Amino acid sequence: MEAWLDFAKGPLFAFTFGIMIAGLFRLVFLQVYHLLVKKGRRLKDVPWMAMVRESLSWVIPVRHIEPGTKIFSIASFLMHIGVIVVPLFLLDHVVRWERFLGLDLPAVSKGTADILTLLTIACSLLLLAYRTFRARHRTVSGPVDYILLVLVLLPFVSGYLAMHPALNPLPWDVMMLTHILSAEVLFLMIPATKLAHVVLFFFDRISAVHWQLRPGAGDRVAEALYGEEVRI
Amino acid sequence: MRRTRALKDLLWVFALAGLVAGVFRLWFGLGATTNLSDAVPWGLWKIFNMVAGVAISTSGFMVGFLVYVLKLERFRPLMKPAILVAFLGYGCSCLALLFDIGLPFRFWHPFLMWNEHSFLFEVFWCVSLYFTITAIELGPTLFEKLRAERVVAFLHRIAFGVVVVGISLSSLHHSSLGSLFLVTPQRLHPLWYSSLLPLFFIISAAGAGLMFMVLIKIVYARLYDRESVFGPKSEEAIAIVPMGGGSNGNGKERPTGRDLPMLVSLASIATSILGAFGVIQVARLLVDGSWRVLAAGTWESWLFGLEMALLVGLPLFLVWNPQTRRSPTALGLAAISACSGLFLNRMDVGIFGYFRSAGEVYFPSLAEWALSAGVIAAAGLTFLVIVENFSVFDEEWKTRRADMGIFKAKFDSFSLVWNTALSSGLERATVIAVIMIPLAWSLMYPSYARIDALEVEPALGLDVTRTVLCINGNTTGVKTDFPHADHRERLGGDTSCRQCHHMSLPGDETTACFRCHRQMVQSTRIFDHGEHTLAVAESEQLGGIYPSNHSCGVCHPAGEAKSAESAKPCLECHREDARWEEPADQDSDLALAVSYMEAMHENCIPCHRDEAEKPDQKALDDCSTCHRSLKQREVPIETVTMRR
Repeated sequence: MEAWLDFAKGPLFAFTFGIMIAGLFRLVFLQVYHLLVKKGRRLKDVPWMAMVRESLSWVIPVRHIEPGTKIFSIASFLMHIGVIVVPLFLLDHVVRWERFLGLDLPAVSKGTADILTLLTIACSLLLLAYRTFRARHRTVSGPVDYILLVLVLLPFVSGYLAMHPALNPLPWDVMMLTHILSAEVLFLMIPATKLAHVVLFFFDRISAVHWQLRPGAGDRVAEALYGEEVRI
Repeated sequence: MRRTRALKDLLWVFALAGLVAGVFRLWFGLGATTNLSDAVPWGLWKIFNMVAGVAISTSGFMVGFLVYVLKLERFRPLMKPAILVAFLGYGCSCLALLFDIGLPFRFWHPFLMWNEHSFLFEVFWCVSLYFTITAIELGPTLFEKLRAERVVAFLHRIAFGVVVVGISLSSLHHSSLGSLFLVTPQRLHPLWYSSLLPLFFIISAAGAGLMFMVLIKIVYARLYDRESVFGPKSEEAIAIVPMGGGSNGNGKERPTGRDLPMLVSLASIATSILGAFGVIQVARLLVDGSWRVLAAGTWESWLFGLEMALLVGLPLFLVWNPQTRRSPTALGLAAISACSGLFLNRMDVGIFGYFRSAGEVYFPSLAEWALSAGVIAAAGLTFLVIVENFSVFDEEWKTRRADMGIFKAKFDSFSLVWNTALSSGLERATVIAVIMIPLAWSLMYPSYARIDALEVEPALGLDVTRTVLCINGNTTGVKTDFPHADHRERLGGDTSCRQCHHMSLPGDETTACFRCHRQMVQSTRIFDHGEHTLAVAESEQLGGIYPSNHSCGVCHPAGEAKSAESAKPCLECHREDARWEEPADQDSDLALAVSYMEAMHENCIPCHRDEAEKPDQKALDDCSTCHRSLKQREVPIETVTMRR
């Protein structure tokens, strides 16, 4: 088991993490390429300020909460706090970042991390429940939405249990291996699925703002989707 | 179209793996990334990519010779492709060589620092000059697209002179590459060693280079312009019937493409040259008596036979047999056979027949394979790009480009987004990069390779009472007969054991050295985390379903990161097992045991050195005191720095 753990922490981590970084880099590169080269726009034309304002307004999305989706939106927002903070700033992860990449990140306290993890798990379960039991959410959900939610849940649950032996129903090393492997599957999924909003979040704002401000925006949408030849 | 795309994808896979291998070679050095050693100082890169790669690219000057000197105008259409092949072939040979030489940034030294006694000096000059020549010859093709008419006109005016210079340079260095092996008659196997090696090298390269041109033309036809070689599409089924099968007994002519007669005549010239090579080779075997070695049935003689069959036998048969002569498939097969025969020949001369005497088996490392294939794949990609965008084979590329089709975005049911991910070249190439670069990175990263992790053999008792131990950790190196009982007596009886046995495994006394110092030249991590969780839970009598789950707090302090650095010092629990003379350093890391070699030397040498100070013990600090097979040193030991 030790050998498996070592393998999962060493070469496999490097491989999957590398795929994630390279994949996200590719997406950013293609976005910029399509925007600037293929569509021939200049950096000056990109409404940077509007984009930043728009992005920031989504960071604390009070403005965007619609009447029927209050709980869903709030749960989704709270979940994202834990999803961003815990993987990066948990003390045990900070040690690994330092060893692997030489990054010296600040760490959150163990209690804070526990609370955030539990919050994330609770919110994810709530989102899963919404998608499963509410007809309104079910109609817009495909299989991948459920799979991704469960995949996001797995490392949090297994990590929490591995760190709390009193609750842990399995041996520590089994739980730890589950934690590492599920996180690595997630690494592979991030650039390939809608989880790519890790970086594309900002670019969605560019294109959204851009299309709204330019004349003939509808044609550009069609062009982006179907290529140059198609006219609406 | 689909076939071209699949080929490009495959080439990208290899090229990107080669890119990572190249970065590692430059960053970590030859020793860490290749399986080369002092006994086998060259391998895949030099022989496969350089010696064989240059030999296969002779098409440039051979077709030039046919067209410009012999005035065989029917080969004129092959002139541009032949120059492109020569340029890329020499380019990727030089690139591979750049990675192969010890200090790549000094590649320019032979330009300034001449060693006119070396064959390689001549090879270096000819290869670099000829590479420049091919670049000049390629110029018109590239400048035509840029509409630089005056440059093109100038290049056309000097074309004949350039071609002639190219031919002379080529014939010079191909034979010199053969001469390179002339200077080592004691290493090269007699089947390949001959004073005619320079001649063999240039003849085989000339023949196989032309066959390579045939292959390139056929591959090009398959990818872009099927009709030119394979004939009209409706008759496709008949045209690709392989040798023998489709004899035209009922008088029906097999439909052929317009370029096929030219290819057949080129292949005839090529196989004639290869036939001449075969005849001289056989005559040489008979004259110098090497046929006896061939008849011996050794591994080398089979290799030699295979090489001659591929290089000479099969191509001659396929091209001159009337039934297969006019089939493009058979022609392609003959070309593949001749090219692989040429590669095998160079590998035989450079590696298989050469390093038998070195006493070491060489198998290239993953990084070597990757870079070797990657350089060729990169050349292949460049070839496809140039062929698609410039007029190399014909002028129809513009119309072909237009109907390559527009790819449309596709709704991906898995990720639920509209994506253009796999539509065009850039998107596909970047997807391949995203997968290949991390994969190649994690597979080839040197620290995971552990090349020299030699397991240590335990010291052997040479008699029942173990008065003398044979210490021979790596079983091949310099062994030592260690007078164990004698040392115990000399150092003070039973209480002296701990002077050497400084640590023991729990519950043990005088644990043998090899149980912790497990590797010959590398440190060993002897700390077993899994065992510790179980053992600690047992000794602390912890409860729960899995007691080991609760053992973390025993070593790792609460509230701190659970890492080796923050854990409790080993000696806090293992003081019983350590038999230190004095209280040891609390921070000393027991998790890492130094290499066996270092442990042995550090254990013995300080004491021996102190003893050697005494008047009647002069030789005690000499290597030969313990390593009996070594000679006694002439120089005093103080001047020699110990390996640490």
